[in-house]
Amino acid sequence: MNNRMSNRLFDGINLILLTVSVLICLAPFIHILAISFSSNRAVTSGEVTLLPVEFDLHAYRSVFSDMTMIHSLGFTVLLTVLSTVLCMAMTIAAGYPLTKRGLKGKKLIMVIILITMFFSGGIIPEYILVKDLHLLNTIWSLVLPGLISPFYLIILISFMGGIPASLEEAAEIDGATPLGILVRVVLPLSLPVLTTLSLFYAVGRWNGFQDTLLYITKSELYPLQLKLYQLVQNNMITDLTANEGPGVTRAAPESLKAASVMFATVPILLVYPWLQRYFVNGVMLGAVKG
Amino acid sequence: MRGIVYLRRYWQLYALLVLPLAYFFIFRYSPMWGVQIAFKDFNFFQGITGSKWIGMDAFREVFHMQDFYRTLRNTLMLNLLDLIVSFPAPLLLAVMLFEARPMWFKRLSQTILYIPHFISWVIIGGIVYQLFGTQSGMINNLLDRLGLDAVPFLTDKTWWLVIYLLTGVWQSAGWGTILYLAAMTGINRELFEAAEVDGAGRFKRIWHITLPGVKTTIVTLLIINLGNMMTIGFDRPFVIGNKAVLDYSDVLSTFVYRTGLESGQYTLATVVGLFQAVVGLIFVLSANFASKKLTDEGIL
Amino acid sequence: MAASKFKLAKPASFSLAALIAASVALAGCSSDSNGSSANGGSAASGSSASASGSSAAPSGKQATLKVELFDRGNSPQPYTITDSYLTKYIQDHFGTPNNIKMEFVPVPRSEELNKLNVLMASGGDVPDIVFTYDSGTFYRYAQQGGLTDVTDLVNQYGSNLKAFLGDDTLAYGQLDGKQYAIPGKRSITGKYASFIRKDWLDKLGMKEPTTTDELYDALKAFKEKDPGGTGGKVIPFGMTIAPAEVDPLIWSFIQPTTDEQKYTLTQKLGSNDYPTLLPGFKDAMQFFNKLYNEGLISKDFGLDEDKKQLGQDVQNGLVGFFTEDYPNPYYADGSYANLLKNVSTAKIDAIDPFTNSEGTHAKPAYDSNGMYIMIPKTSKHAAEAVKYLDWMSQTDNMVALQNGVEGENYTMQDGIPVVKEDAPTDVTNRVYNFGDIAILANGKFAGDDEKNKQAFVAGFPSQFQADVRKALDISDTDTFKPISFGHPIDAESKYGTALQDKYDQIIVKSAMAKPADFEKAYEAALKDYMQSGGQAILDERTKAYQAMQSK
Repeated sequence: MNNRMSNRLFDGINLILLTVSVLICLAPFIHILAISFSSNRAVTSGEVTLLPVEFDLHAYRSVFSDMTMIHSLGFTVLLTVLSTVLCMAMTIAAGYPLTKRGLKGKKLIMVIILITMFFSGGIIPEYILVKDLHLLNTIWSLVLPGLISPFYLIILISFMGGIPASLEEAAEIDGATPLGILVRVVLPLSLPVLTTLSLFYAVGRWNGFQDTLLYITKSELYPLQLKLYQLVQNNMITDLTANEGPGVTRAAPESLKAASVMFATVPILLVYPWLQRYFVNGVMLGAVKG
Repeated sequence: MRGIVYLRRYWQLYALLVLPLAYFFIFRYSPMWGVQIAFKDFNFFQGITGSKWIGMDAFREVFHMQDFYRTLRNTLMLNLLDLIVSFPAPLLLAVMLFEARPMWFKRLSQTILYIPHFISWVIIGGIVYQLFGTQSGMINNLLDRLGLDAVPFLTDKTWWLVIYLLTGVWQSAGWGTILYLAAMTGINRELFEAAEVDGAGRFKRIWHITLPGVKTTIVTLLIINLGNMMTIGFDRPFVIGNKAVLDYSDVLSTFVYRTGLESGQYTLATVVGLFQAVVGLIFVLSANFASKKLTDEGIL
Repeated sequence: MAASKFKLAKPASFSLAALIAASVALAGCSSDSNGSSANGGSAASGSSASASGSSAAPSGKQATLKVELFDRGNSPQPYTITDSYLTKYIQDHFGTPNNIKMEFVPVPRSEELNKLNVLMASGGDVPDIVFTYDSGTFYRYAQQGGLTDVTDLVNQYGSNLKAFLGDDTLAYGQLDGKQYAIPGKRSITGKYASFIRKDWLDKLGMKEPTTTDELYDALKAFKEKDPGGTGGKVIPFGMTIAPAEVDPLIWSFIQPTTDEQKYTLTQKLGSNDYPTLLPGFKDAMQFFNKLYNEGLISKDFGLDEDKKQLGQDVQNGLVGFFTEDYPNPYYADGSYANLLKNVSTAKIDAIDPFTNSEGTHAKPAYDSNGMYIMIPKTSKHAAEAVKYLDWMSQTDNMVALQNGVEGENYTMQDGIPVVKEDAPTDVTNRVYNFGDIAILANGKFAGDDEKNKQAFVAGFPSQFQADVRKALDISDTDTFKPISFGHPIDAESKYGTALQDKYDQIIVKSAMAKPADFEKAYEAALKDYMQSGGQAILDERTKAYQAMQSK
């Protein structure tokens, strides 16, 4: 009885704390949403907090009528899917062998990988490499250089390493090859972490734009975030634009910026709820054992 | 003979490693000839290989710059505070989410909590300013209405640190829960069921089952975090920082950006980068060593 | 066991499917990229076909001229940054007749320097025409031998160009007597004007201030009597940490200086001159401190780097006085227009209140050059590049690039292109990025200085045009230009960016200190500034000045 009471109390407090956290995390998003529906005057006068002022669909009309934005969205989806799939394939291929304690050369390979977490050649040699491989202005310049994140690889190894060795041994006795064990035992059991890392790769690719600034000069290969960055950031470099003198550019209206933020953010936000079933259901270790 | 047996059994594992290793050598190691720039007087048009060797001159120069030490100190300070404040936050939040009922609430809050990760720092900066500004910030307006004095949240160094840390927690905690939740779903459910039968309370369950279940994840993340003590993102300190708190908000990344990249001085930028890399590697290896001793877990 | 295997089969096939999908995507994408390059090829051959088809085209192989183009991500429908009315216009009127294929290489505006540096350092693939406003970058490229010396080419192909720029402007692109860059030309060199709420003054029965002291009185009155009825929220003097707000005030405190002081004590950080070491700077900081502590300037000015808060305060009718880039309040949907929507009785007037010890309204102005247009040494089309710039410099072409189609975008009145206010958006969009296309010009060109000004003013909403003109004339009164040695100061390019932060820090710390602590705060901040490179610049400039004198 006492136990049930304290459980109830726990649930109640937990619910309240989570609700507060949720509201704190949601408010800025609502704020941006409200701006995207408000008039420019109301926004620059600081009147908009959580509700639109002088409701106006103008910003969305101009975002959705901009074919380059739609095209960018399509390209970004293609880019994100392509690089997530390849990144995951490569990360799994690297990660699985490295979970084997007995694998000869494992330590060396781990050190080789770990070093790349800290050392890099720098922006110029990397650019030259991409240029020499004739990847400039192709989708591959945005995919190949980031195929494996050492950080995510280490996470994958630590998760896969936690799978009870007995399961794999059992499969091995049944005559399964290492590849067979990977496909039939390890991957299914690693579904939560695989989903997580896919999400990480996908979000990283979706939100990343620094490489596109360097490698892409064709506007049909501009990802959404680059367009967004230009819209939001380009008007903020007062130090640079000071030299341009007056009249060269005018900042984009705040509502248009906000609407573009929404346009570029909401699609990727929807990925997680869709992936959640892999978390909530998880894996039934017990079922496998049984 | 034993070698052949070994290979016959495990050749597939090595075959799997071929492409990833090729990736690391082509895209990660082959550009590393670029680090020689740290020892050269870089000339744009003679290229990295064609530029003059200057030995350790650039290192000497950097190590003589007062700003280098100031930004180094700030980087370590901000990262350490982040480790204390922002590192446990996602774990705590993940436990709360894991325990939350009903299911729809759990899913919904999970989805919303990770939204801040998707808002760029430029926009967050604007919002922070609107909230915490001295003159027209919402919090200070509220204090004003209550008859209290305005608090210089963004221009007083200590307050600024608090805002900086809280913004970091807010931005990253929800995102950070994902990995912990993935680890928690991997915990054998029989353990929870058994605990229920035993009549263990919630806290007991969390302490004895949930947390041990994600121990590996915690240790892995902690080691990697320690390895990253020397590196700090550019955007957060830059956007949240301002001229009044430059003594705290100026960090290595902004330092490199200013003295190196913006004026094309790649030598200087590379010197600092090398320094960060070496120290980072030492940190991560020591953390790994210590962790192996203490918990028998590690990343190597 | 069997059951569990069955259970596992599904996810496994999922991952296999993913692998297959990956290889399909691989194949699909490589064919896709082939496809696009094929498209590019056919487009190129198409235009060359049309070029050879036109009878006027000179025979011979078509050259491709690559020109950098700032991309601000603001291309309107149906244009893209590399395919717009203006790029077509250039191809048709310059490219095709000269058998040149124009190719514009977009560079994100905010990453301009970074990208240019990487392009230059990696050799190859650099456009034939690149540019930047950053003088340090220009000097670095020139000194390291990466730029084409265009002296002869300009003499050979650039007669219009020379006439357009004049020797004064051309001199900015020279180093050691060689023309390494072709500087753009700035049509209007004024920078700042001051603005006051005339309706507030009227209410208080005060005259428009004409000296710093009178301004101070007005600010005090704004604070005490709150003529705008803001309920205590009044900000007598709207302040930020941006140059447009701090410069006019600070420079009015700078004492008359000898030539030697000007050269040695000025510090050029980025592309602006800073008065950190000039006599009078400390007095300016002291005044700042007084204004801040008496509650006369925006409390959060140190946070307002992009002037967003100032704009908000102005249009909410809280600000009594502010200084700005002279045309900024007057844009359609700008802060004055929005202020009028919020407070219909408001009236902003441009004034010139800050006076220095000699009683003049001294304020900084721009150099007469715009950006540095450079032809990298790797370019094989330097002659074509100069021809292109020469073509652009001809008045007719310049007017067409800056204004669009006569009769649709603008009308000619007394030799001044006047923008048609009622032109539909798709017509005005033709010239949406004229400032970035017409790289030779900073601001509108119509012929002479006066016409340039009129053309500029004509671009504003008609209700504000008289105000803009007044502000423009104020910005042009008692101005002084940046000091130049004609060669770079190494310490400035090295420490410039860092010192800009330190400079702002001096202002913020001096202003926000309690009056009793001012001395300490100021000295500490200045010491930090000097140690972070200020001293090095001082030393180098002193040496450079001595060298200049001994010549």
